[in-house]
Amino acid sequence: MIRRLPLNLAALVVVVISVFPVYWMALTAFTPTKDIQAETPTFWPAHPTLEHFATAVNADGFWTFWRNSLAVTAAAVLLALAVALLAAFAVARMRWRGRRGFILMVFIAQMAPWEALLVSMFIIARDTGMLDKLSMLTLIYFMTTLPFTIVTLRGFLASIPPELEEAALMDGCGRAAAFRRVVLPLLAPGLMSTSLFGFITAWNEFAFANALIIKNQDDRTLPVWLSSFSNVFGTDWGATMAASTLFMLPVLLIFLILQRRVTSGLIAGAVKG
Amino acid sequence: MSAPSLAAGRRETPATGPPPAAAPPRRTALWPYLLIAPTVLGAAYLLLYPLLRSVVISFQHFRTGELIRGGAAFVGLENYRAVLGSEEFRSVVLRTLVWTVVNVVLIMVISTVVALMIARLGRRMRLAVLSALVLTWATPVLAATTIFQWLFQSRLGVVNWLLVTLGLESFRDYTWFADGTSTFAILVTLVVWQSVPFAALTLYAGLTTVPAELYEAARIDGATSRQVFTEVTFPILRPLFGLITSLEVIWVFKCFAQIWAVSRGGPDGATTTLPVYAFQVAQSLHKYDLGSAISTLTVLILIVALITHLRRMVKQEGEHL
Amino acid sequence: MRHVTALLALAATLAACSSPAEPGDGGTTRLTVWVMRDSLSDGVLDRFEAGYRRTRPDVDLDIQIQEWDGIGQKVTSALASNDAPDVIEVGNTQVAEYAASGGVRDLTDKVADLGGADWLPGLAEPGRIEGRQYGVPWYAANRVVIYNKDLFAKAGIKAPPVTRDEWLTITAKLDKGDDQGIYLPGQNWYTLAGFIWDEGGELAVNQGGSWKGALDTPQAVAGMEFYRELQALGEGPKDSDEAKPPQAGVFAKGDVAQLISTPGGAVAIEKANPELAGKLGFFPIPGKTAGKPGAVFTGGSDLIIPEASRNQEAAYEVVKALTGETFQNDMAKEMSYVPNRVSLAGVLDGNEGTAAMAKGAAGGHATPNSPAWAAVEAKNVIKEYMTAVLTGGEAAAEAAKAAQSITGILAAES
Repeated sequence: MIRRLPLNLAALVVVVISVFPVYWMALTAFTPTKDIQAETPTFWPAHPTLEHFATAVNADGFWTFWRNSLAVTAAAVLLALAVALLAAFAVARMRWRGRRGFILMVFIAQMAPWEALLVSMFIIARDTGMLDKLSMLTLIYFMTTLPFTIVTLRGFLASIPPELEEAALMDGCGRAAAFRRVVLPLLAPGLMSTSLFGFITAWNEFAFANALIIKNQDDRTLPVWLSSFSNVFGTDWGATMAASTLFMLPVLLIFLILQRRVTSGLIAGAVKG
Repeated sequence: MSAPSLAAGRRETPATGPPPAAAPPRRTALWPYLLIAPTVLGAAYLLLYPLLRSVVISFQHFRTGELIRGGAAFVGLENYRAVLGSEEFRSVVLRTLVWTVVNVVLIMVISTVVALMIARLGRRMRLAVLSALVLTWATPVLAATTIFQWLFQSRLGVVNWLLVTLGLESFRDYTWFADGTSTFAILVTLVVWQSVPFAALTLYAGLTTVPAELYEAARIDGATSRQVFTEVTFPILRPLFGLITSLEVIWVFKCFAQIWAVSRGGPDGATTTLPVYAFQVAQSLHKYDLGSAISTLTVLILIVALITHLRRMVKQEGEHL
Repeated sequence: MRHVTALLALAATLAACSSPAEPGDGGTTRLTVWVMRDSLSDGVLDRFEAGYRRTRPDVDLDIQIQEWDGIGQKVTSALASNDAPDVIEVGNTQVAEYAASGGVRDLTDKVADLGGADWLPGLAEPGRIEGRQYGVPWYAANRVVIYNKDLFAKAGIKAPPVTRDEWLTITAKLDKGDDQGIYLPGQNWYTLAGFIWDEGGELAVNQGGSWKGALDTPQAVAGMEFYRELQALGEGPKDSDEAKPPQAGVFAKGDVAQLISTPGGAVAIEKANPELAGKLGFFPIPGKTAGKPGAVFTGGSDLIIPEASRNQEAAYEVVKALTGETFQNDMAKEMSYVPNRVSLAGVLDGNEGTAAMAKGAAGGHATPNSPAWAAVEAKNVIKEYMTAVLTGGEAAAEAAKAAQSITGILAAES
């Protein structure tokens, strides 16, 4: 027991460092302004209040932006999953000329400097009539998450023995049915963890949302709104932290929903190794 | 930043990948191409075309006027000459390398230590650490940058309060974001804080795949903990370390949102890395041509830096075939 | 799998409800007007909107508030788009750059119709390039000191200061206990520019056709030294400007005695804290001697119509209304701005804020007239110099560094 003490202490330090910033955000969001501005900070919500959340939610258009973000993100992630699944299948289960080159390109695509493409993307969006449209953002987010999704799904697919599918084929299933009934369930953890990644990436994106939504201000997304929130509310750290908390909430929820699957995938992988 | 892959880790673990399917090419020679068609089409419109456009711009005189009216003239290598000839660019490249090395080294060392620690913890403590890491991981970048700005506020920031309470009077109302070095340090802290969870969780997943017998054997041979790590753990997990390091290099090198949100590359350029510099030149100064040249050079530098990683990837694919 | 299905359903629902209802049906034209944050009060805008709806029921005005942060990128994108906002407010230091870029409608043939004969030169000139008029003057304003009368009375101060020395003395007196003598953020560079001009210095000088940074002259350094003394008499953040956080909000808390702002700032303060209504006073920024108020930067805005606006005629009508007498009078009264035409200046008689401003306006200055000056602003050279000095840097050395950097930028861009 004594021997474990330093180890447990170290673990405690890791936990505190990991959690504190997030805790501090939530705490500030629930702390009355008077206490936030006190000389000595309080580390416990002595008089919790919802005033900051009210300020944040009542700010102009909050729900619209929240909904825009959610719609764009969800659509981009699902699109990426669908497209990536096809490509990953081709890469993991078939032999064809150009396969190596394709994989290499997918790897390189992961390095794409997205912010550097702002100007050319702006020009392309303008020239194809896609400026000021949420659908353009959806497409871009789909593309930013696609390479990673393909790489990861390919990894998962490769670890599912093709014999399972063949067995199902023998049982008289069509190829699609075999895939759906046998492979897809086994692939679930992979789909979960990749959608998690895609969700975070798209949910966070600021530069394109800021540059491509110009006139239709009702089509702005949450990160853009959050960035101007600090201009508007300035020293109102309570409201800013409340807005950040609301911004984090969907990601946290998705994590909680998907996490069990992700960890089970992790363990499955571990056991197999 | 993000979420990759629990699965990527898995793919790298030995013996996971079965030989690729003997999928019958005879029957459906066209199928694979149909399956990758959406990916290829999407990439052509949303990645390749913008990329080409951007490269073309880097060979043109392209400022606000050209953006609005069109009709940009080609100027050959002039933009590249201007960029490469400037003192500022060289110092930005150097800073970007320092930024990448500092961050990646810290991330890898801390993650390894944390992963080894988790493996040794009791069940309850392990769950606590894992949950804490997942919470950090789930924090969106923009939320995290706002939080860090609040933590390090000069007047009401809890960090200054803590330092003053600990007796460091000089930190009363200390303005962290006014000084280049301290802003750089805060950004490193932020990026490391956000990146460690993924690396540590993946490494921990990898650690659990190392057969316990190997450890026992090493112990019986009288190996110290350090020897166990360098001679058993590390060699087995080498591919995983390689993969995570490469991913972290890509992310840290390309890191933009955090720096832009916190410091805009300042103060006095102290946190201007290549992506930030390219953005400044293009968007703040409206020199889209120079910005594109910088971006092109950025990608080239990154590819050169990761050439060994790419080589290995391709080789591995070869083995699979 | 259940989750994926749920997500799919969710996405479908969201996508369905986020498809925008197409505006503009029923023959109305939807016009988008961009106005900068805090440049006009809600009251002025609402009255204009209501009035305009009465005269032009076929036009649906959508007035959008824009943030200063990143506005250059935003306006450029708008000008380059193919469906731009119809009318845009741009600062008088920036209008030349946009006009030169070529996406702005040439309004030269409308100058007479807009009453351009007696426009304020400080607004009309930057909007004109090679004899063509692109920017239409909207309003002018320069900075004054807004003070809290209650706090002045509490400290026993009877009259506003008229010299710098007096100013420092009373500000030190006001800076007691929880009260701040003055809230001056470290990066209010327009204010610093005034102090530098007072000393006889410049931000940059034109020497035989090439521009040189001049922050390192003894005069300019003296201006910075004064800024440092003044800034220390309050809790203004040393690493931030007046927009972050919005200084009106800070002042509205009631424990700040003085603030440097355009008189219009008082409107924002009273909006944030109605209890302060009637308790705000104004005085010109004090100069070195009693006879001469401090030099100030002459600020203001122009209106432009992007060529990419799809409603050129309707947009012009709005510009005409916004720069016309009715609106100008209303705006000048509420915001204490100087109207765009000399002949309208009479409306400001008896307005305390404007009186203070008019005194200062005599010493009005502009930023260096180089097309590259915008790049100096975009790179925050002066702001970072100020922060460096305020946080303990050696003024002369930092000034030399900043001046060199400005010289470099002005040379590279021209």
